[in-house]
Amino acid sequence: MPLDTSTYSLALLRLDGRRWNELRRLHAQISTQAAADGSSYLEMGNTKVLCTVSGPHEGKAGGAGGGPRSTQAKIEVEISFAGFSGVERKKRQAKDKRTSEMSHTLTQSLAALLLTHLYPHSTITIHLSILSQDGSLLAACINAATLALIDAGIPMTDYLCACTTAAPPTSAETEAGGDPLLDLNGQEEQELPFLTVATVGKGHAVSVLIMESRVRMEKVEGMLAVGVEGCKRVREILDKVVKEHGKRFA
Amino acid sequence: MAPPPSLQVNLSPAELSFIRSSLAQTPPIRLDHAKGPKDFRSMRAECDVLPGANGSARIALEDGTEALVGVKAEVEKSQWRPVPGESARLTAAGEVTMLDVDDAADKDENTKGKGQNSWVEISVEVPGFRDDDALPVFLAAMLTETLLASGELKDRLYINNRFHWKLYVDVLLLSPLLSYPLSLLSMTTHLALLTTRLPALKSEKDEDPLFDDDWDASVQLYGKERQQIEKPPVIVLAMAVGSNIIFDPSKEELAVADAVLAVACTTSANSGGRIVSIRTVDPPSHLTPPGVPNAMNSATGGKVPTSSADALTQRELLSNSGVWTPPRGGMKRSLLSGIVKMVVEKGGVAEEVIEALQRVEIG
Amino acid sequence: MPREAEISVNEREFIQQALRENTRLDGRAFDTFRPLELTFGDEYGVADVKLGKTRVIARISVEVTAPLPERKFDGVFQIVTEFSPMASPAFEVGRPTDAEVILARILEKAIRRSNALDTESLCIIAGLKVFHLRADVHIIDHDGGLIDASCIAVMAALQHFRRPDVIVEGEKATVLSVREREPIPLSILHTPLCVTFSYYEEGEIFLVDANLAEEQVRQGEIIITMNRHGEVCQIAKYGGATVDALSLLNCNNVALEKVKDMSKFIQERLEADAKRRDAGGLMAELSAENDR
Repeated sequence: MPLDTSTYSLALLRLDGRRWNELRRLHAQISTQAAADGSSYLEMGNTKVLCTVSGPHEGKAGGAGGGPRSTQAKIEVEISFAGFSGVERKKRQAKDKRTSEMSHTLTQSLAALLLTHLYPHSTITIHLSILSQDGSLLAACINAATLALIDAGIPMTDYLCACTTAAPPTSAETEAGGDPLLDLNGQEEQELPFLTVATVGKGHAVSVLIMESRVRMEKVEGMLAVGVEGCKRVREILDKVVKEHGKRFA
Repeated sequence: MAPPPSLQVNLSPAELSFIRSSLAQTPPIRLDHAKGPKDFRSMRAECDVLPGANGSARIALEDGTEALVGVKAEVEKSQWRPVPGESARLTAAGEVTMLDVDDAADKDENTKGKGQNSWVEISVEVPGFRDDDALPVFLAAMLTETLLASGELKDRLYINNRFHWKLYVDVLLLSPLLSYPLSLLSMTTHLALLTTRLPALKSEKDEDPLFDDDWDASVQLYGKERQQIEKPPVIVLAMAVGSNIIFDPSKEELAVADAVLAVACTTSANSGGRIVSIRTVDPPSHLTPPGVPNAMNSATGGKVPTSSADALTQRELLSNSGVWTPPRGGMKRSLLSGIVKMVVEKGGVAEEVIEALQRVEIG
Repeated sequence: MPREAEISVNEREFIQQALRENTRLDGRAFDTFRPLELTFGDEYGVADVKLGKTRVIARISVEVTAPLPERKFDGVFQIVTEFSPMASPAFEVGRPTDAEVILARILEKAIRRSNALDTESLCIIAGLKVFHLRADVHIIDHDGGLIDASCIAVMAALQHFRRPDVIVEGEKATVLSVREREPIPLSILHTPLCVTFSYYEEGEIFLVDANLAEEQVRQGEIIITMNRHGEVCQIAKYGGATVDALSLLNCNNVALEKVKDMSKFIQERLEADAKRRDAGGLMAELSAENDR
């Protein structure tokens, strides 16, 4: 049944009934697949991502070998969109520029996060299957990859956690604009300028920051601050998932 | 179709010979010796996992193989094509409408024969394979063929003369290829189709279709009210070893098969189990390396055959000695009818599997 | 696949040590661009940008096509980037490297998605005929800072370009040649420009406009696109070492200053070019006086 959203704007609620700084339900599982070295399943609202990690293993011939690069493990990220993931059924080309930008982001951020120098001459392959898209896709991919890499037991410095924030819509009553919104769904992402931020650890160390839409410079500060706070909350949730999983072996 | 390299097993001729001889015993001893010849591997299944799809299901086997299927339906404009005697049928349909058609059976009668094969599109994605590699294409073709075989499904996609549903079935193998995935993919597709719902139609006859927003009012593609309708078909793999028939073979068991059959079967309330299609699958056993018997090995005091003809005759004599020789394929007629009977009979494999999957949907 | 030659360990150490002592190899301050040169071709819409040793040429061309069915009132605008092997042995035609994909994406986001060009003004007859504008970016010489240079080149070329005028009578449109009617400049809504920051020493040192050697040593980069009105069009930090959130905001302020300088520079060059083109102006041409 469609939500009755008529009272929402008065109570300063969003279309799905959340407050400005509320995350969607973040559900995650690790070790979901017996056959992979590491795997995870992550839901941020209706965005659902499945991640499997294999490796470190011997790289394909010619890929990892040669040059001083082979003192570190090489990270490969593959992203595949299921045909049914969007609203309309569409086959995404594997070599789409947007997809390669996403995998480039993951490769770059994980290369700095993982202790790759421990695995020279090897390759770590991360495969992400996007099962359902409803906003914050890149953030969900980053979170899922972090969990799967933890499950695979690959040493890393800290959690890499991501979320999205949007500049508040400017309405007549709130001249200065309201509070920035945290963790956007697909609808909000289309309407508002937003950024994806990923931090390492508990502090303000920003690893990934991507913004694709035009916004006043003054608003970026607020968005970033809320985003960093959101990442901290995501980190707590992910940490809980990992510790719950660990208890099984206690 | 030759099996892909990842399905090849690295077993020595001695191991292959051991597996084969234990499978050929009566009763056969399987690799997992708790299982009988008709037992399937255990699996975890869930359905309706994706909010954005019309129907979806996920099945994970005990060895870690996992598949996910999402079904998406979109309204598409039909291509007009002249049908002989169409005008006659149209008036007939009109009359029936006046007589108030709520009865699903009558409605089915109207749409009979109007479906087209292109309205169902299946794509299979296997990690590590390109879309146009032989394996995914072959798997997709097998699944499509069985789904369309009865012709009932495509007729149900008919909306009116100008519009129809287009059904996209996306089959994803989530794990690496650990065993021959055909029956797993087919079972997952079956489950996904069982849960598939289409929005209820509000417009009438040849108007532009208008649908009910209320998801609770949607109709199931394989609905309960259509009890007499056949369930979507399921493909089961059966293999023959000697005179034994073994269902749902594992990867290692496949490596010693004489022949492998993919049997697509379905059930319906009134007619019980039926077979939709049968195909032979080329088992990886053909490509296993043969063992070298002592008599042909100079290291063990034997004599290396001098010519290839000589080697061939010596091999012929070996057939029952226990030294591994890759099977040449082929299957006795009695075995074939044995498999068919085991699938179709009352309480047979077809009913058992489909009932088990049905329970997932309810539970 | 050919690869960029790796920088040697000695050079790497040297550059880092120098940076720690507040020195860049070419003696620039940390927040200055290399000398920027901008020239325009004889034709409209050709811009040649030199940023130090990096050289990028952008060329705008136009043709008439049918619009996309889902965007009936918008013209088509496309940016095509090409890395030619001429610029660096690491580039290969037909096999885009990561760097090329990123450049294309950044230009796409910075210029196209931020609506720098008013595509509606390119519409001739809704649903039937629109102008298809194509910006070709050619990298001629590569010494770092490709994104910044390409963005300047495209924006300068767009502002320099003139499209032919059209007369619409009902369903019929006539494109008038340059001789018949003075061509029309494009309607540019704002001028986004990119500033790339490279950082070192765990985000302690930020460099503006790093050259190739500095790019190879850096721990990561942040690409900020802004216009001179203080609107951020795009930010991209694709991983790499982490940076404190506050210094990111600081980068925004530096970027705004740089963008203002560059916009002014582009404007000056455009004006100089316009002056060169019409010596005397229309009045001189229409004058009845003849040199006898």
